[in-house]
Amino acid sequence: MPEILINGRKVEARAGQTVLEAAREAGIFVPTFCWHPQLSTAGNCRMCLVEVEGRGLDIACNMPVSAGMHVLTDSPDVQAHRRAMLQFITLNHPVDCGICDKAGECSLQDYHYAYNGQPSLSVEPKVRSTKYYNLSSRILLDNERCILCLRCTRFTHEVSKSMALGVESRGDVSVIRPVADRPLGEDPYSDNIIDLCPVGALQSRQFLHKTRVWYLEATPSVCPGCARGCTVQLWHRKREWHVKALDPAQNASIARVTPLENPAVNGPWICNKGRDLAKIFERKRAAGPMLLGAPATLEAALERARELIGAARHPVALVSSWGSNEEFAAFQRYLGAVFTGYVKCDARPEPGERIEDDLLIRADKNPNSAGARALYGDAPDELPEGTDLVLVWGEGCDFGALPRGANVIFLNAYLAPENGHAAVFLPTTIQTERSGHYTNFCGVVSGFQRCFEPAAGAVDAEALFRALAAPARVHA
Amino acid sequence: MAGRQLLMNFPVTATSHTLAEYRARGGYAAIDRTLRTLKPQDVTQEVLAAGLQGRGGASFPTGRKWQVVVPGDGQPHYLIANADEGEPGTFKDRWILENAPHLLIEGMLLTAYALEARHCFIYIRGEFDLPYRRIAAAVEEAYAAGWLGSRIAGTDFSCDLIVYRGAGAYVAGEASGLIASLEGKKGYPRNRPPRLTVKGLYQRPTVVNNVESLANVTVVMRDGAAAFRTVGTEKSPGTRLISVSGHINRPGVYEVELGFPWRRFIDEDCGGMLGGRALKAIVPGGISSRVLTGADIGPLALSHEALWDVNSTLGSGGMIVIAEGTCMVRLLHIMMRFYHHESCGQCTPCRHGTGWMHRILERIVAGQGRPEDIERLYYIAKYNDGTTICGLGDAAGYAAAGILDKFRDEFEYCIEHKRSRYEGRIECLRS
Amino acid sequence: MKSLVLEFEAMRARFPAGFESSLVLPCLRRIQEERGYVADSDIEELARFLGVPAIQIEEVLSFYTQFRRRPVGRWHLQVCRNVSCSMRGAEGLIAHLQRRLGVAPGATTADGRFTLTTVECLGSCGTAPAMMVNDRYVENLSPESVDQLLKELE
Repeated sequence: MPEILINGRKVEARAGQTVLEAAREAGIFVPTFCWHPQLSTAGNCRMCLVEVEGRGLDIACNMPVSAGMHVLTDSPDVQAHRRAMLQFITLNHPVDCGICDKAGECSLQDYHYAYNGQPSLSVEPKVRSTKYYNLSSRILLDNERCILCLRCTRFTHEVSKSMALGVESRGDVSVIRPVADRPLGEDPYSDNIIDLCPVGALQSRQFLHKTRVWYLEATPSVCPGCARGCTVQLWHRKREWHVKALDPAQNASIARVTPLENPAVNGPWICNKGRDLAKIFERKRAAGPMLLGAPATLEAALERARELIGAARHPVALVSSWGSNEEFAAFQRYLGAVFTGYVKCDARPEPGERIEDDLLIRADKNPNSAGARALYGDAPDELPEGTDLVLVWGEGCDFGALPRGANVIFLNAYLAPENGHAAVFLPTTIQTERSGHYTNFCGVVSGFQRCFEPAAGAVDAEALFRALAAPARVHA
Repeated sequence: MAGRQLLMNFPVTATSHTLAEYRARGGYAAIDRTLRTLKPQDVTQEVLAAGLQGRGGASFPTGRKWQVVVPGDGQPHYLIANADEGEPGTFKDRWILENAPHLLIEGMLLTAYALEARHCFIYIRGEFDLPYRRIAAAVEEAYAAGWLGSRIAGTDFSCDLIVYRGAGAYVAGEASGLIASLEGKKGYPRNRPPRLTVKGLYQRPTVVNNVESLANVTVVMRDGAAAFRTVGTEKSPGTRLISVSGHINRPGVYEVELGFPWRRFIDEDCGGMLGGRALKAIVPGGISSRVLTGADIGPLALSHEALWDVNSTLGSGGMIVIAEGTCMVRLLHIMMRFYHHESCGQCTPCRHGTGWMHRILERIVAGQGRPEDIERLYYIAKYNDGTTICGLGDAAGYAAAGILDKFRDEFEYCIEHKRSRYEGRIECLRS
Repeated sequence: MKSLVLEFEAMRARFPAGFESSLVLPCLRRIQEERGYVADSDIEELARFLGVPAIQIEEVLSFYTQFRRRPVGRWHLQVCRNVSCSMRGAEGLIAHLQRRLGVAPGATTADGRFTLTTVECLGSCGTAPAMMVNDRYVENLSPESVDQLLKELE
């Protein structure tokens, strides 16, 4: 355990650590652009220059700790050098924060205000470069904003291994470019480079110019896209910035999804499917309860369902692998003794979707199969002889394969043709409208929180299970 | 002749570069004797005792570099001869490659023996044509004669040598950029630590030595460290190959015994200034070394320590002689165009600093200088010093600060009068 | 590239095991010698042959000045304009060549005979001014010697 001094303070470092790591662990911030804990050390931005007494300046990200060294992270010389590095970095940078999506969460902007604050010393014309370069159908590159920290290229070489990005040319006309024959579009992790980019060079086409980031807040959630259960942040408009005159649907929509760093599950990454949760959550919703396709009140629908349950001799439940652990517990508590439960696979891989890899993506495209399997076995190909009532919870059920003549109670959140075929249809809330937990494929439990009001008519499955067991007041 | 000669001590003829003539001059006797009578560490000790300093530019003691490589550590070691001679004004390794290729090969064998390196490489700049053909032919000759390959000279020592051609990048002459290039990648230099002698080519301990340094290893092992030390000065033993260009009557490569009077070398060996003009300035060791004025060099000897004393360096031995009447603003502009063109673009200060300086100088040369430009150039130079991954950014700053220190008035004149005091003249043709 | 595979195999055998990536530069040089430039299809084939990422080859091609993605004229004149050559008349020589060939640096004459390029330091400072004509160095140039040379180059 080498002990070092940082700004006069004793810091216990671990052998093999760099000065930057030791400083950050001790709560001493050293600014960086290129350094990232999950990527190899590039040491190219030179922003983390620190002074070692008696040895002069060098970059902290590539400096091994050695016992007794005295590091100064804020000496006058360090400050002067930081200002100079920012002068260099902004030399050809357009400083177009006013039209840049990154503004508000940009390292360059932050560091400029924190460490420089002066106008450019240069009077030379800036080196112009490509403004809207199509890296893929998802990502735009602005080469003028790029500071060549090479986080994105390192990500595609070291993490996603698509080898999709590299540097073309050299010197101050170097540009990030994708390899010709394998577009970045085939990399299912490509959007991580947008988060990795410390400036506004890499932009999400889906988020482009949609909103300023300071109008948004993030709700912690869990991606339901596969059994990995990556923790994510769902970004949506802050309440105080809800729009009234414009399209109010914006108030209840996901503006973007970013990873919520989680060493136990996904590290700092998620796949592109997780970025597109709006595509899953913002599908058309079921309008209200129905009895054989005819609109009904919730009370009438529940009453009919209870009758069917009461009359059934062999009721079976197909339990949603998108249910939360809390919902499973509620089902067990209220209906567990009545129904024979089986785990239903709600979602299967879409055509063209990556099935599985050794980074994050799992073949099971449901978030809580593990939680469900802790209570129930997998659904057999054919339900047992004599099944006369099936409670289908969630999507992915082939109604044609259900036993002929069996009644169906169907709980679903989305508009689907099957909704009208069920004896009783009950609309449910979706993940963004409630809180809960999923258990991922290796047993890690992660929680998601509610960020939107439930859609009109939608009811929490937990409340429905309770009401199905005994008459009670249920609010939609 | 500028003192005693150790490398160029034979008449160059149409066949003097061949193995047969090299053998006739006593070539490969040193490696033969070393393999039979010495242990690898004896070679390192001898080179340390000789006080041999690197001839590539940094003048780091060659033996000390080797000592970092741990013998018998169970991993392959590599030796690379840096023949990526690209520092403007420098063409002395080219002389060895063309005229004494076996001197280099023998030096590499001796070094490989000392380092326990089974595989060696000569990284030669891609533009070189004749030097490549000569060294490639010499390697084939050496293989055919059993001086390369398995069980050399009937001993247990085996060594393979590959000549690797670059493809046009100054920065690949920097040792870690060279290694990246030899790994088939773009020549981005690498941060230290780790040192290349710990993790170099394909992450294995690697020594990168300049061609002339390796040729001198042959001399040290041929004559012995004691004899080597009798040549040159106490702090700078041996000789340097100096390549002279610019406004001089007899440009070319000269072997100069270290400690030889500089002015005499210019006036006698090099035939004096072109057109009998006065000596205005000298770039002593490639454009990355700080320029000196004619007055500076008057009393100086050519040695590492003498140059260090005046805050410059013998560097790569690329000496550019500049006559009175030359516009230093234009000269610095051309130098900066070069650094800007060759910056790899990897690290911030050099990527932007070289271009920034180049554009400022372009403006001054075009008669649009501003009073603050000089301070701005100093500022950029200052914040490239010690802040970059490799030495290219520093060197660009040294070149700028060096010329500004000595010839600031020329820049001020050019900025104030919107034109060069010397009408931007840089050439001085044969009269 | 296909015609060179045997040669590349022989080259690979000379390098230590695990040095496939090192073959990128020498292979590209040979491809360019054969074809005059490196084509897109060469990149894919070489990447597959060596087992290196295609992006590495693309980076190399754009990083080093000697590699070309397009053909040049039959005679590629690369004239040095660095310090020592400029001090011995390179700038006037380049202007002279521009006038004689009627093209600016970077361009090829209409008949496809000459491509004129300026380069930074060929290591020919003692024999300045110098240029490369294709792979060959021509040194101690003067406007007269250049005129003579242009006549000889068909």
